[in-house]
Amino acid sequence: MNPIYLEIAVVVLGLLLLAAESFAGPGRKSGIAHPAITGLILVFVATFWIDPLAMDVTAPYARFYSADFLAVFFKQLALLSTIVVLIMAQEYAPVVEASLPSSRRGAGLGEFYALPVFTCAGLMWMASAVDFVLIFVSLELVTISFYILVSYMRQDRGSLEAGVKFLVLGALSTGFLIYGITWIYGVTGQTNLHAIAAVIPALKHAAAPALLFGLGLVLVSLGFKVAAVPFQFWVPDVYQGAPTPITAFLSVASKAAGFVVLLRVLQAFVVVPYLQEKIMLLMAILAGITMVFGNLAAIPQSNLKRLLAYSSVAHAGYLLLGVASLGAPFAGMAVLFYLGAYLIMTLLAFLIMAVVSKTVGGDDIADFNGLNQRAPHLAFAMLLAMASLAGVPLTVGFLGKLFIFEAAFQQGHFVLIALGIVTVASGFYYYLKVVRAMYWQQPADPEAPEIPVGVAARLTIAILCALTIWLGVYPAPLLSLIR
Amino acid sequence: MLTLGHYLLVSGLLFATGLGGVLLRRNIIVIFMGLELMLNAANLSLVAFARHGAVSAGLPDYNAQVLVFFIITVAAAEVAVGLAIIVALYRQRQTAHVEDLNQLKF
Repeated sequence: MNPIYLEIAVVVLGLLLLAAESFAGPGRKSGIAHPAITGLILVFVATFWIDPLAMDVTAPYARFYSADFLAVFFKQLALLSTIVVLIMAQEYAPVVEASLPSSRRGAGLGEFYALPVFTCAGLMWMASAVDFVLIFVSLELVTISFYILVSYMRQDRGSLEAGVKFLVLGALSTGFLIYGITWIYGVTGQTNLHAIAAVIPALKHAAAPALLFGLGLVLVSLGFKVAAVPFQFWVPDVYQGAPTPITAFLSVASKAAGFVVLLRVLQAFVVVPYLQEKIMLLMAILAGITMVFGNLAAIPQSNLKRLLAYSSVAHAGYLLLGVASLGAPFAGMAVLFYLGAYLIMTLLAFLIMAVVSKTVGGDDIADFNGLNQRAPHLAFAMLLAMASLAGVPLTVGFLGKLFIFEAAFQQGHFVLIALGIVTVASGFYYYLKVVRAMYWQQPADPEAPEIPVGVAARLTIAILCALTIWLGVYPAPLLSLIR
Repeated sequence: MLTLGHYLLVSGLLFATGLGGVLLRRNIIVIFMGLELMLNAANLSLVAFARHGAVSAGLPDYNAQVLVFFIITVAAAEVAVGLAIIVALYRQRQTAHVEDLNQLKF
């Protein structure tokens, strides 16, 4: 099967959903969540029939579109996270509805389910993009739909403020990206990454500063996307203000797509030694400060969404350490495994947070006090997510970190490994703060009613919990997907 | 005679003006104008590079010029969404100044 049909199917699904939404009667707009989830699951299943080796490299679209193993793996990540985000959005719908201007029940919720489908199409194109034109356009498809999603709760002060901050900083990073692309094009005369890689070794030495300037601007923009320090300042505010499912989407899918573009762009530029040295040094420095800053800034947080925002910065640091070790044969695999693990545990944490904060009415850590007495299953699932995010052995998060450190060890980044181990230890402190609140604090209201959880959300929580443990003990299935 | 350098200089000035506007101004609408200037700086230098760059069979390289159209389209989409968000913010708070965006802090 031609892989480009996957994206076309997702876009058509999104258009059909919008059409269905506009014809559905006023109380039934939220019904489009089910076809959206079903459709995406079908596309997800279809990805397993894509043979990356059978890609026709002479086809006209092969100039800008590639369906190698990397692309297919990231398409699966994008689809999976969109499906979980839509399930989460269903759980979270009452909160969103309460902060929309319309008083009619269910009105205005349709786009909240349709837009993530378009975002997913953008993410899937990003996974396949091998030309700066497609990288730019798909990145913008993702970013612009995120502007709307982040500021979706129009009557909520936090959501709109987060939306405006995300808009300004997102557009700023777009400006950097496109100006960087311009200079890379000016020096090489190409926008295709393979063609750029072929041209660079023949360039005159005088062209190097202009090329580095362009590449630097592109890397700044990708730094924004993956939330690397010092381009992380938008992360805490936007994560805290956005609706919880969208926060999860931003922190998982947007970061993963940023990393796939980063990997592809770097691949095109590491072809000559003088560029390779500079890029790898830059990545190592970014990895170091991102790990340290993310973990230290997370320690004093009292809002769980803000804490997870800084934790997401910290995880970007470990991923960048993997990218900085790309010379090791195992490093690419380690980065992909870490992204898969990060997807599972982060989505689990956000799903439980969406369910709990919908009922409790807040997302401070104090709102989780005594969760074990009120909903022991949810508390246990959250415990698993936190343990995995912290990197406790026998969870998938531990193996992710282990693989990254192993790759870094092979490349001799001993200082960074030491930094990494120290920051992992400090991570234990703030993740266990959540566990402490759930198990050792008294609930505010001991007589509080049970927390209602939908069937789909219940099933998803169970699957994600099982995956966290199973892949932590036996990682072969995920590794076989990566190859 | 205008050379590539002249165009790049103007484009660089545009980019710097835009970036300065984003960093220094406090009104969100003006910040947004700065962002648009940055995109147009890229457009100008792309066209200049395409005109002065490699020529094959007597024609300039049209890749970059096509990219310019994509940038214009994306910028239009960004303005449509962005202005809508800014209007929503103004309705809620009667302000379009960044200092007033101070709800989200720990």
